[in-house]
Amino acid sequence: MFKNLDPLLHNQLRLSVMSLLMNVEYAEFSWLLEKTEATRGNLSVQISKLKEAGYIKVKKSFKNNYPLTTCSIGKKGVDAFEKYVEAISGYLKH
Amino acid sequence: MEKQFDEKQSFALITEAVQNARERIMEDGFFYLLWGYLVLAAALSHYVLLELVDPRYAAAPWPILMTMGGIISGISGRKRSKKARMKTFFDTAMMYLWSAFLIALFMVLGFTAAGKIDPLACYPLIIVIYGIGTWVSGGILKFKPLLIGGISCWIIAGVSFYFTFDIQILMLALSILISYIIPGHMLKFKASRNV
Repeated sequence: MFKNLDPLLHNQLRLSVMSLLMNVEYAEFSWLLEKTEATRGNLSVQISKLKEAGYIKVKKSFKNNYPLTTCSIGKKGVDAFEKYVEAISGYLKH
Repeated sequence: MEKQFDEKQSFALITEAVQNARERIMEDGFFYLLWGYLVLAAALSHYVLLELVDPRYAAAPWPILMTMGGIISGISGRKRSKKARMKTFFDTAMMYLWSAFLIALFMVLGFTAAGKIDPLACYPLIIVIYGIGTWVSGGILKFKPLLIGGISCWIIAGVSFYFTFDIQILMLALSILISYIIPGHMLKFKASRNV
């Protein structure tokens, strides 16, 4: 049934992250953590998976001497997200 | 094993995330009020000095108050961007708008000082630029009082071309009141109710 759905996006937390990032230019890890209400560890893992697939870009830097992780969506991610939305819209119509 | 979910849930999740990301597109009116009151104070003191005290020093409030505004804006802007944990496309649009605004403002002031722009056209042109600032930001924020402020500026600017310099100063003060101070207070009120 879900054969056309991108397995990387068809996961609650990863889809939340992608949907949030679709609407911003970039966001800090702590903001994503707050919005998704996920645990730190789980969010880290899912962000890594999205990064490995090239869907998002992750930048590590420092802010007030604390490590800072910033995420933004990449071109490949936008394409995948659009394809995914198109696919679920198709399912919902049937 | 990762938890799977159906298409309806997935659609609801996307919708919720979109709503969630929108939350910060809220403006508290700080910069509109800061600049609004500074320009109002500069324009009114310019008028009082010109008419009642000494015309030689009449324009002096401008550089003093505008430098003050620049410093306060710089400090506050830095603090705000440090606090912000994400950046939206709205923030970027605003940045481009206000930088264009500043460049246009400095060009008009500079070319007037250089004698290339008729001094009687200077304030009306500045009011036109004020109008661009409020009209475009009103469109970005979807906030009607700013849009009305923008249109008011352009009407006042058009009319002010036909008046003498002293009256133009008062018209500039009026334009800042309508297009920055009033919408600024409305934004502040709106933001305080949303918190």
